[in-house]
Amino acid sequence: MECVVQGIIETQHVEALEILLQGLCGVRREPLKVHEICLKSGPNLGAVPSEVRLICNLEQTEPTWTVRFVGGAMRGAGAEQLSVLVRTVIESKASKNVLRLFYALGYKLDHELLRVGFAFHFQRGTQMTVTVSSVNKMPQLHNTDEAVPVTPGIQLVEVTAPASSETYTEVASAVSSFCEYLAPLLHLSKPGISTGVVPTAAAAAASLMSDGGGTTL
Amino acid sequence: MPLKWVLHWQPNAGTTVNSQIINEVTQVVESINGIKEGRWKATITFYKPLLRAGFGGEYPRDFLGIALPEQPNKYYLIIRPLRIVLEADSTITMIMEKLQSYKQRVSLNFEGFQYQLGDFQLRVGKVLPNQSENLRGIVMEVEYLPISSMEKARQIMEEFMTIWDQAVLKRALPGHFVHMEPNFGEFGLGDQYTSQHTAVQYAAVMAQLIATVQGRN
Repeated sequence: MECVVQGIIETQHVEALEILLQGLCGVRREPLKVHEICLKSGPNLGAVPSEVRLICNLEQTEPTWTVRFVGGAMRGAGAEQLSVLVRTVIESKASKNVLRLFYALGYKLDHELLRVGFAFHFQRGTQMTVTVSSVNKMPQLHNTDEAVPVTPGIQLVEVTAPASSETYTEVASAVSSFCEYLAPLLHLSKPGISTGVVPTAAAAAASLMSDGGGTTL
Repeated sequence: MPLKWVLHWQPNAGTTVNSQIINEVTQVVESINGIKEGRWKATITFYKPLLRAGFGGEYPRDFLGIALPEQPNKYYLIIRPLRIVLEADSTITMIMEKLQSYKQRVSLNFEGFQYQLGDFQLRVGKVLPNQSENLRGIVMEVEYLPISSMEKARQIMEEFMTIWDQAVLKRALPGHFVHMEPNFGEFGLGDQYTSQHTAVQYAAVMAQLIATVQGRN
């Protein structure tokens, strides 16, 4: 299970966001470059149609693969009241022939993306990860070298935290509190609920850039 | 990692496996000074496609999921006709369950005792359907601890098997252990031994056990 929120930011303010995150997290950023392949089950296969993501980490010398299953969002009155989305996520590292295996099982390519940016992994009330990345599509199949941005000038920010059925309310609360610190630069909400860029971003970014994040926003 | 051969018991024509043979084999191991160390268990599970319209010529008839004691946090998926072996984290079984595209059908346990014999490690095991004592076969793993190269160890493995066969011959058992080495190259595996080699050997043993049962019917 994980708690997740997403938001967008203009590329011109990403540097300011990085300074802010650096100050908040107290850890160094890690480069992020992942090739994400989304597969869907072929016709008639499965009790229900299904979807699985294969994620290839291109940051490592030898690319590593992960199979990722993302389940539906938690429902109910309790989940509605949370400002973060709680969903099932299961991951498994796999050998490099994983795409061939899923094709052989009858899964078909739905779409693929290349995410390039950076990530912060840190502890703040709970274990959290913030990723800031430009999302790119590939005009040619699997050709990550010629990927082009899906939304030029805009980057995706995602905050995730692992949770369990016992801990998700506390984790959700820790994620919400953390998001408040980012509020002047961007608004984070449940995935699928786009709130656009925030009007205060330019001023907040200018302030961060002028004093390297020393001012409390 | 050290290489191993996985052998299966081939009963003589007109005979079947029984637990008396296991007892005799155990006595052979002890007669050549094998020291009993503890229990071991591997599991093979058949996964079959779930098809909504009952038609699915384009999907594999089944694939195997294998759990090995040498890698307790890993799981191996094998589509034998296509010569694909995948190594993944054990969480892949949860992902397969969530996808609901293939369903676990029959599981077979390979379980017994492990013995140390100088630089060799032997594992003798019964093949039993899950939650049943109905003996379906007998397997033996012969592991040579100092070497990882299949080719370099071939001679010493063959010499060991000659000694083994002589020890077995004295007891006039109704069958013998057979080593059928799969073509690892077809699975993309090299000379340096890995757990994927073990998984491929178990899949081959499984195919032999099925062929033996079918040949008898």
